[in-house]
Amino acid sequence: MTIHELITVILLVVGCFFFLAGTLGVLRFPDLFSRLHALTKADNLGLGFIAAGMAVYIASPWAALKIFFIWLFTLLASSTSCYLIARFQKEQEQTKNGKEGE
Amino acid sequence: MNGFFIIVSVFLLLNIALGLIRVWRGPTVADRLLTTQLFGTTGMAILLVLAGYSKDLTLLNVAITFNVLAILLVISLFQVWKKRREKANDDT
Amino acid sequence: MSVLIDGLLAILAIYLALQSLLAPRLIKSVFLFFAFGLALALAWVRLGAVDVAITEAAIASGFLGVLFLDALRDFSPAFPAKQKNPEAAHNVLVKNNTKSLLLSRIPLGLGLGLFLLIALEAVWKTPEGGGLTAAAEAFLPESGVEHPVTAVLLNFRAYDTWLEIGVILMGLLAIFAVGGIKVYRKPNMAAQDPMLRQVIMFFTPVLFLFGAFLLYFGKTGPGGAFQAAVLWGAIGILLHLGGKSIIEEIPRWLRQLILTVGILFFLVLGFLFVAGGNALFEYPRAYAGLLILIIETLAAISIAAALTAIFANLNQMKEDPNETESIN
Repeated sequence: MTIHELITVILLVVGCFFFLAGTLGVLRFPDLFSRLHALTKADNLGLGFIAAGMAVYIASPWAALKIFFIWLFTLLASSTSCYLIARFQKEQEQTKNGKEGE
Repeated sequence: MNGFFIIVSVFLLLNIALGLIRVWRGPTVADRLLTTQLFGTTGMAILLVLAGYSKDLTLLNVAITFNVLAILLVISLFQVWKKRREKANDDT
Repeated sequence: MSVLIDGLLAILAIYLALQSLLAPRLIKSVFLFFAFGLALALAWVRLGAVDVAITEAAIASGFLGVLFLDALRDFSPAFPAKQKNPEAAHNVLVKNNTKSLLLSRIPLGLGLGLFLLIALEAVWKTPEGGGLTAAAEAFLPESGVEHPVTAVLLNFRAYDTWLEIGVILMGLLAIFAVGGIKVYRKPNMAAQDPMLRQVIMFFTPVLFLFGAFLLYFGKTGPGGAFQAAVLWGAIGILLHLGGKSIIEEIPRWLRQLILTVGILFFLVLGFLFVAGGNALFEYPRAYAGLLILIIETLAAISIAAALTAIFANLNQMKEDPNETESIN
């Protein structure tokens, strides 16, 4: 096993750990906002580790650039969707509370 | 090394399968959308690992396609909710 | 070892397909369908069909997903305030439908069984030598491109591709005929929400660039006109969702020109070949690569415009809030 492969294995294992943490958070956390928090942070970090591991393994600058962009786009997409989901939920809860209070 | 990649992808697939529980349980629409985000991120990771496993770099293009269209889905879902709520507010 | 992942993918795909059909609520179905699209794309990747995987990602998860979500808006009654007359009418409709479904259950079952048998037979009889792969590979140097799938789609079987572009136009015509049943208030949310606007502004050039890359990359690897078209069509849909409908803002003649330019150029080229003594779509060898690139670009523009127009027509918007009622 070369040093590249060793680095890849370590990075992938760390990435898998974060994915597991994210999934457990989604399943176990009590309300939507904490689930969002678990998922958006842990999974994207896990993806970052796996992306880094694969970039080291494939070892081509062009592929590494693409992998970096994949990670960047996923970060943008999931942070946007996190924001939109949270905002939607908050507005909905507010309107519900407002109606009940009337 | 290839066996290790397979183990990692199977592990990530099991993650997706676990996430399905949240689609079933809900309880709100937002929770279900959350799991699509989980599927998207995990699917990206599986594609990356498979790209290393099969040494086929075109898989990265599949990943980017998923990626750039995911944002479209999220925005459209949000707009749909928004419109539906506006309709409901108009009726009340 | 790899049978583990293949088996898991197969189980997951079939489970998701069944669940998305059987789920009690439509919104659940749609989300399970997204997951199904992802599992299917991964399965295509495992089968070595990266072209199909990209198309699956683009059309099934992207475009169909957006259309489903759009349909969902009208169907699932999430707000109790809405449950008045439309709801009752809807229930009556559903009851009638189940009655007629019960009557037609036996022929439906028979037909499905027959279809399954035919499908099984087709799978059973898969040609041993990989079908026409060898023939396609042999003529690859003459096709003007280096990727066998693109060579088949745009050179050997260009006729099919030409008609496929026509099919999308036909779909658009059907939507023109019934579209605009519901007209919604123009969303001004994107204008207010700075984050959403930034995201749309960031992703528009990215979608355009990546679409162009896929279009050009189709010459040497998985990619091509249809995949690029979905990405370009996504630009139109994004802008439409952001409240700026480009397809309705360009002049009518230009819109019609863009919608038809793909199929028209294909047709004119075919007639020119016939006039020159060749078969329809038999490109001159020296220019085959260039011609295929031009055809693909124009086809991608047309398909992208058609997809945008489909979405925009199902989603017409008006500035005036008084006109948000449905105009049946």
